[in-house]
Amino acid sequence: MSEKSTGVVNSGLKPEAKKGSDSALQVMNGEHHPHQCWSCGDMRAEHFCGACGHVQPAEPTDFFSFFGLPRKLELDEAALERGFYALSRKLHPDVYSRASAKEQAWSLEKTSQLNDAYRTLKDPISRTEYLLMLEGIQLDEQSKKATEKARASGAEKKQSVPPELLEEAFELNMMLEEAKMGGVDKDLRAQLTATREDLTARLNTMQDELRGAWKRWDSGDSGATARMVDVLNRRSYLCNLVRDIDEVLS
Amino acid sequence: MAYSDKVLDHYTNPRNVGTMDKNANEVGTGLVGAPECGDVMKLQIRINAETKVIEDAKFKTFGCGSAIASSSLATEWVKGKTVDEALAIKNTDIVKELSLPPVKIHCSVLAEDAIRAAISDWKKKNS
Repeated sequence: MSEKSTGVVNSGLKPEAKKGSDSALQVMNGEHHPHQCWSCGDMRAEHFCGACGHVQPAEPTDFFSFFGLPRKLELDEAALERGFYALSRKLHPDVYSRASAKEQAWSLEKTSQLNDAYRTLKDPISRTEYLLMLEGIQLDEQSKKATEKARASGAEKKQSVPPELLEEAFELNMMLEEAKMGGVDKDLRAQLTATREDLTARLNTMQDELRGAWKRWDSGDSGATARMVDVLNRRSYLCNLVRDIDEVLS
Repeated sequence: MAYSDKVLDHYTNPRNVGTMDKNANEVGTGLVGAPECGDVMKLQIRINAETKVIEDAKFKTFGCGSAIASSSLATEWVKGKTVDEALAIKNTDIVKELSLPPVKIHCSVLAEDAIRAAISDWKKKNS
């Protein structure tokens, strides 16, 4: 009886899932991997069965696949948001209050996947980092390997960012440390404010650089990942400096 | 995440904090960074040209407790060692000594990088 009743509950939502005009639902059903529904045997099941509407087993999946998205970086963030809310509603525990235990468990697990996937993909930086991770690019692992190579060969390890940027970060940190101890007078405040503006402008430029690399990646240029790594590396220093300046100025 | 006692000791009581004249011939300077967290570490050594022994070491690190402890320990370890002995220090030695957790291994890598960079700077100046 309980399984029958969920069928009724879910089938009420079925027509919505079939509406192709809503881009939010295209996000949900874009690049899909249909499988056989555990309940009715229909072959078109995704998060939900296209025929009977039952929720399907939660399976480990990457966040792009979860939303039915190709592994691309330029994405329609508004559509992603609509897809997130649409799926949130359909997976809401209240909908499954009278469903079978396994369906309750799947809907809960899918809700948790949904939240992680949305949080990761909606932010351009975390989306980029996540894609690099999926592509097997682990920044700290790379750095460790390069150090081991330098140790074995005696050659110098190339730092992942230009030496001028390290100098700049070091000098500014020295200045901020003095400011923390000695206080911030009017001149120093003006100087730090100007530096902050400069850093912010450079961060904006990096955003453009990153988008350029996204375009290359999305059009099939796998070499674009090196560019993304480069931008993200430089970006992390500038972000820290802005944060540290704000701490001193506040 | 809790820091180990040794990390806390180096963090609250860092050894050899300071700077040397980076233009001096007997001084080698290594400035390195870890993009994962934006930490920057400067390690300087003064080397006796005759004996190739590292007579003094100073550091200044802007970063987390593990990064500060790793560089503090690195300065302690290189002092009194020859250049070749110092080059044999591995990041894993630092991990072991400080009981660094996996997420902080990059701090030890940073310290090893700093030692190597300082020595290579000195070699360049004195070649």
